[in-house]
Amino acid sequence: MKMITANLTNNLKFRLFMGIAVILFFFKIFVPAGDSPGYNIINEILVALTVISLIVYLIELMGYKKINPISMVMNVGILNAIIFFMISFSGSILNLFFDNLQGQPGLVFRIISFFYVFLILSFLAYIFLTFRELFFLKQNRNLNTYFNTMVVFFILASLSSAFDTLPDLSFIKNTFFIISILLIAINSVRISWIAFLQKKEKISLLIISIVIAVLFIVNLVNSSGENIHYKMLASFSPSLARFLNILMIYGAIYFSVLFFTTLFHLPTAEAYDRKAQEVSSLQYFSKLITEVLDFNDLAETVTDIATRVCNADASWILWSGQKEFTTIAHKNIGYIDARELSNFIYKNVKNKPSNGTEVLSLEKFEKISSLSENYLSVAVSPLKIHNELKGYLIVAKKNSSIFNDEDINAINTFSDYATVAIDNAALVEESIEKERLEKELDVAREVQRKILPSRHPEYIGLEISSVFIPAFEVGGDYYDFFEISESKLGFVIADVSGKGISAAFIMAEVKGIFESLSQTITKPKDILISANKILKRTLDRSSFVSAAYGIIDREKETLTISRAGHCPVILIRNGQAETLRPSGIGLGLNFTEHFDNSLDETKINLDDEDLIVLYTDGITEAKNTDLEDFGLDNFEKILIENAKASPDEIANKVIREVTVFSQSHSQYDDITLVIFKWKSKIKSDGEKEWQSSALPLKIKEM
Amino acid sequence: MAEFSTSIKDKGNVSIIYLNGYLDAHTAPQLETNFSELIDRDKYNIVVNFTDLHYISSAGLGVFMAYIEKIRENEGDIKLSSMSDKVYNIFDLLGFPLLYEIFKSEDEAISKFKETGNVENKK
Repeated sequence: MKMITANLTNNLKFRLFMGIAVILFFFKIFVPAGDSPGYNIINEILVALTVISLIVYLIELMGYKKINPISMVMNVGILNAIIFFMISFSGSILNLFFDNLQGQPGLVFRIISFFYVFLILSFLAYIFLTFRELFFLKQNRNLNTYFNTMVVFFILASLSSAFDTLPDLSFIKNTFFIISILLIAINSVRISWIAFLQKKEKISLLIISIVIAVLFIVNLVNSSGENIHYKMLASFSPSLARFLNILMIYGAIYFSVLFFTTLFHLPTAEAYDRKAQEVSSLQYFSKLITEVLDFNDLAETVTDIATRVCNADASWILWSGQKEFTTIAHKNIGYIDARELSNFIYKNVKNKPSNGTEVLSLEKFEKISSLSENYLSVAVSPLKIHNELKGYLIVAKKNSSIFNDEDINAINTFSDYATVAIDNAALVEESIEKERLEKELDVAREVQRKILPSRHPEYIGLEISSVFIPAFEVGGDYYDFFEISESKLGFVIADVSGKGISAAFIMAEVKGIFESLSQTITKPKDILISANKILKRTLDRSSFVSAAYGIIDREKETLTISRAGHCPVILIRNGQAETLRPSGIGLGLNFTEHFDNSLDETKINLDDEDLIVLYTDGITEAKNTDLEDFGLDNFEKILIENAKASPDEIANKVIREVTVFSQSHSQYDDITLVIFKWKSKIKSDGEKEWQSSALPLKIKEM
Repeated sequence: MAEFSTSIKDKGNVSIIYLNGYLDAHTAPQLETNFSELIDRDKYNIVVNFTDLHYISSAGLGVFMAYIEKIRENEGDIKLSSMSDKVYNIFDLLGFPLLYEIFKSEDEAISKFKETGNVENKK
C-alpha cells in the first residue's frame, strides 16, 4: 500500500512537472519575446517553477535508492563532461544549420534552443540534488538551516539577475550573488563522508574530484563567455544562466575542498580501514562465539580474523590440549612450516612471563631457509584463561612488512576475545567427550551386570549370599557359580586389571572360559592352568586377571580351591578366621610352565556352620578420608562376630561397615562379597527330602 | 585419588625410579613414560624404589608387566626394592615375587645387578 501511494504521489509530481514544462514550451515558442517587465516576470516564474517541480520530482525519485557517494560524484562528473561538450560544440554545430544567428531567431531555432536549455536545466537540477545529498551524507548534526539559507540565496541571486535593467539596483543582485558564494564556501567545508570510505575508494575519489573540479571551473568560464550557449541561455532566462553559474561555482569550490580533504585523509586511511575492519571483525566474532561451538571451526575463524586485523600473511594457533602443544588452524601456512616455527617460538617465549603480545624476529631462526615462504617476523600472543596459559596465537609476516604498534594492539585485543571463545568451545568439547565416556561406562556396567549371575544355585545344606556393588568406573570384578553335578558346585571369583569397557570385555571372556572349563576339567588347579593358556591369546601384556576357583563337594563334604593371584579365601570356623591361600601367580602374568608350577591346590574338609568367604580387594582396600584401608583384620573381625547369622545378614553387616568406613570417600573399586554357609546337619536331616526329590538342584531366582 | 610422582636417578649403569604417592589407573601413564624413556636411552638395568609409595592398584602392577619382556630381552631387569608391608602384600598376593626379584633395600638390588654384570664380564 505504501509503495502504491508513493508511486501515486510520484506520478502526481511528474505530471505537475510535465504540465509546467509544456506550458513553458508553448510560452517560449508562441509568445514573442519582449523586454516588457510582465513578460520577464512570467518567463522567470515559469522557468523557476519548472526547475523546482523537477527537483521536487527527482527528490522523490532518488529517495528510494541507496546512496553511494562515489557513484553520485561520478554522475556529476559525467553530466559536467556533457555540459562541457555542449558548450564547446553548440556554436559550431548550430552555425552549420543556421547562417544567420543574429537578429530574430526562427521557429526551428527556438524549438532547438528550448530543448537545449531544457537539457541543461535538467542537468542542473540533478547536479543540485547531488550536492544536496552529498551535503547531508553522514552528517551527525541537523544542518537543514545552513542548506536552506543557501538555497534561498541561490533563488534570490538567480531571480534578481533577471531584473538588472536598472543599473542602480545591480548592487542587490551582486550582494545576493556574493552571499551565495560565501555560503557555498562555508557549506563546502562540511564534508564528513570521506572518512567512511576505504583507502582504495579514497584514492579514486582523489583523482575524480580534481578532474571534476577542473571541469566545473572550465564550464564556469565557458558559460559566461560570449558564445552561442550563453546567448541561448541568457535569452531563455537570465536567472537560469545565473543559477548555472552559481552551481558551477559551488561545484568548483566543493570538489576542490573534496580534493584537499581526501588528500589529507589519505595518510590515515589505512589506520581508519584497520579500525573499521577490527570493529567489524570483533562484531562478527562475538556473534560467532555464541553460535560456533565446534572447536576446530572456531580456531579456523580465529586465525582467519587474526590474519586480517593485523594485515599478516599467515596465522596459526599453538594450543595445549592435554599435555603437549600442538599447532592447529593453520591459515595461509603449511603445517610443517607452522610446526618448525612453533618449535622455535616456543623455545623463545616459554620461559618469559608472557604479558601480552611479543614480536619475534626470525633472523635467528636457524631453519629459516627450510621454510617454503620467507617469513621474517612473528607476533606471539599468549592465550590465557584465569592466568593459566592455554596456548599462543601466532601471526606471521613476510619480509615486505613488519609489525607496528597498531598490529600489536589489534592482535592483543583480539586474542582476549579468542581465548574466551576457544576455551568455551574446548569446554563444550570436553563435556561431549565426558558424555561419551559416561555412555561407554554405561555399556561397561551393562555388560558386567549381564555377566554376573542373576540367581544362586540352591544346594541342600549350603546357604549362599552374594553382594556386588559396582564402582563408578567399572572395576572388573566377576564371580560365578557352576553347577557341575548333583553334588558338586564350582565357583569362581576374579578381578580383571584395569577399568571401564576394556575390563568389561575381558570379564566377558573370562566368564566364557570358566563356564566351559568347569564342565570338562575337575581339578581347580587344572582349570586355572587352562584358563591362563587361553587368556594368552587375548590379554595384552599389561593386563592380567586375579582369580580363585573352588569346588564344594556335598557328598564328600570337602572344599578344594586353587588361587591365581587373587585375595585368599577366608574360612570362619569355631570363631576363628583362617585364610586359605594356596600359592599361585595371577592369570596373564606369565605364560610359561613357571605359572603352572607356581599353582597349588588346597583341600579341606567342611564342618557344620563353616563360613567360606570370597571377596575382592574392593572391600579390604576401601578407603576413608585419611586414605586408610578398611583392612583384612577389620573384615575378619566382622565375619567372626556375625558368624552365627545367615549369610545374607553377614553380607549386609559387612557392606554396612564398609560403607560407614568409607562414606566420605568415593568408592573407587568394585566390591564383591560371596559367602557360603555349610550346614552338614541340615544335610543329614534333609537326606530323605534329598532322595525323594526329583530335582536335586533347586533354582532360586534372585 | 591422591597424587603420584616419580623421579629417576642413575647410579652407575643402574637407573633407579623412585615412586611417591598412589599408583593407579590414572597415574600409571606417568610411570609408563618413565619406563619408555629409560628404554629409549638403552637403560635396561632398572631398580624401582617403593619407599614412598602408599598404594598400588592392578593397573599400576600392569605397568611392570608391560615392560619386563622388552627389558629382559635386552639382558636387563626390573628389580623392586624397599616396599612397605602393605604394598608388598599386594605384590605377594598376585605372585609377583615369583616373577620379580624384590629386595629390602635399594643397595641390595643395585649390588645384585653388579654381581650378574661381573659374572657376564668374566665370561
